[in-house]
Amino acid sequence: MGGPHPRSPRLEGGAEPSFLPPSSSVRTALGRCVPPSMQGNTKKMGVMTDVHRRFLQLLMTHGVLEECDIKRLQKHCYKVHDCNATIEKLEDFINNINSVLESLYIEIKKGVTEDDGRPIYALVNLATTSISKMASDFAENELDLFRKALELIIDSDTGFASSTNILNLVDQLKGKKMRKKEAEHVLQKFVQNKWLIEKEGEFTLHGRAILEMDQYIRETYPDAVKVCNICRGLLIQGQSCETCGIRMHLPCVAKYFQASSEPHCPHCNDYWPHEVPEVFNPEKERETGLSRSNKRSSRSRQH
Amino acid sequence: MLQEPESGALAIPQAEREMDGSHDGETQALTASPEPAPGPLLQESPQEDLGAVREEGAAEPSLTPKGARALAAKTLARRRACRRLDRTVAELVQFLLLKDRKKSPITRSEMVKYVIGDLKDLFPEIIARAAEHLRYVFGFELKQLDRKHHTYILINKLKPIEDEEEVLRGDGPRLGLLMMILGLIYMKGNSAREAQVWAMLRRLGVRPSKYHFLFGYPKRLIMEDFVQLRYLNYRRVPHTNPPECEFSWGPRSNLETSKMKVLGFVAKLHKKEPQHWPVQYREALADEANRARAGASVRARASTHPW
Repeated sequence: MGGPHPRSPRLEGGAEPSFLPPSSSVRTALGRCVPPSMQGNTKKMGVMTDVHRRFLQLLMTHGVLEECDIKRLQKHCYKVHDCNATIEKLEDFINNINSVLESLYIEIKKGVTEDDGRPIYALVNLATTSISKMASDFAENELDLFRKALELIIDSDTGFASSTNILNLVDQLKGKKMRKKEAEHVLQKFVQNKWLIEKEGEFTLHGRAILEMDQYIRETYPDAVKVCNICRGLLIQGQSCETCGIRMHLPCVAKYFQASSEPHCPHCNDYWPHEVPEVFNPEKERETGLSRSNKRSSRSRQH
Repeated sequence: MLQEPESGALAIPQAEREMDGSHDGETQALTASPEPAPGPLLQESPQEDLGAVREEGAAEPSLTPKGARALAAKTLARRRACRRLDRTVAELVQFLLLKDRKKSPITRSEMVKYVIGDLKDLFPEIIARAAEHLRYVFGFELKQLDRKHHTYILINKLKPIEDEEEVLRGDGPRLGLLMMILGLIYMKGNSAREAQVWAMLRRLGVRPSKYHFLFGYPKRLIMEDFVQLRYLNYRRVPHTNPPECEFSWGPRSNLETSKMKVLGFVAKLHKKEPQHWPVQYREALADEANRARAGASVRARASTHPW
């Protein structure tokens, strides 16, 4: 009889508590039901230990972490629970955890900051597309302010929305009435919680928001949304070709034009008019803390 | 489709949810007004579908063309029901984790209202599965606090690590940087312009946006992390053109250190005594006296309210 494979969301062969139901269907993380015959035993489920659990708890607490911090986090978790074990390579470690998280429709997603290509990691919902994670930290009118800012950011050409333009929309917010002064404070809260980035009075999306709300943004603003010509990922900040209008992330530009002395648009072949940034390399940019070099002191560029 | 009751932002009225049998969260937009969820409505009631799953041993229908169609329809409905149950369990796990972050106990009625909906007859199974996920994946135990009122909390089964936050942030160098900034702020009269802070750091070979092997990107560390952690306040100075910003001590700095301690740090740096700066020294003394007074009154209050 072709019933669904009995398969609990844990390692096969492990002891099952008696209160678990005997069967559950097999499905992919995106909620599409895959016929059991196609699943079978090809997918190996990872094993969770206290190392992984502590790692997950701490990642949840931080919301988003940079690669150097997440590596330190991993090391810390090993030290606490399994100090003699060899530390698994981060990518495999995370894939292992993700295979267990699949049945919960969440995953540890890796992204890259839009301005300088630093790798970041966040725990992301797969099945939901709302900004539910923010909902537990903010009031209704604050969430609506975020929505307004998000819309301005997506509609803008630069990926930035000015503080003034956002604040001018406070009268349109749902929920309790908010004054502009209060709204300024709320915007700073968004920055502190890593949902928005502020640069010189203008706001754009933090890498965390892009990771977590990717699906939501694509579905809610299908016409306004911009996409990178190279990686096809959601694009908020980037460079664009002045002739044909295609856009690319700054780190994608850096990688694509890395080896070429005269960059040309990949789409229309016209000369690429923008400065090509450097590819992010944490090793390369290391400086010793307190020493000065002649090279540094001659650079007067302020930031 | 996670709704947070307090904010109200994502709440869908119960009536709407009851109408919509499919409970499909895929296009749950961030609107307060309810939207009819797309996706196929289950033909049968959810209980019947799940009942069908359990009838593994039921008699097979005969495989006439009509029977084959009925079988296919039933299998499809069964799969949908299973998928829906799995999704509900997953959403309950996420809901419980989110609620736990606020440290508030979760009631059964909240769970039914915002996650479980019309599957509420399956509540025992759903919560049991959610509890198992919480235990196995995250290391939390779901405990029923109150049998009568059906409230639950999450208990962390992992052993607490003292100062875990500090350990993780690799804090030595970063806190040293913070102390330098707190010192500068204090010596400048409890606020320092942003330009002054960066000028001091540049003298140490630290540039705002140049990756530093100890501090990462200093600008982010200071402007985001330190501000978010409430070690520093950062605000625009009014009536400045071009607009300037200044730093001052955040509430956490006042809790974790003191003017006297920071003055001592600055004094050591300069190989002098704290008294070398009479204005700051007097201010630090006054601060110490205030703290002593505040500490005494807290102790007095505590002694009259023994818990």
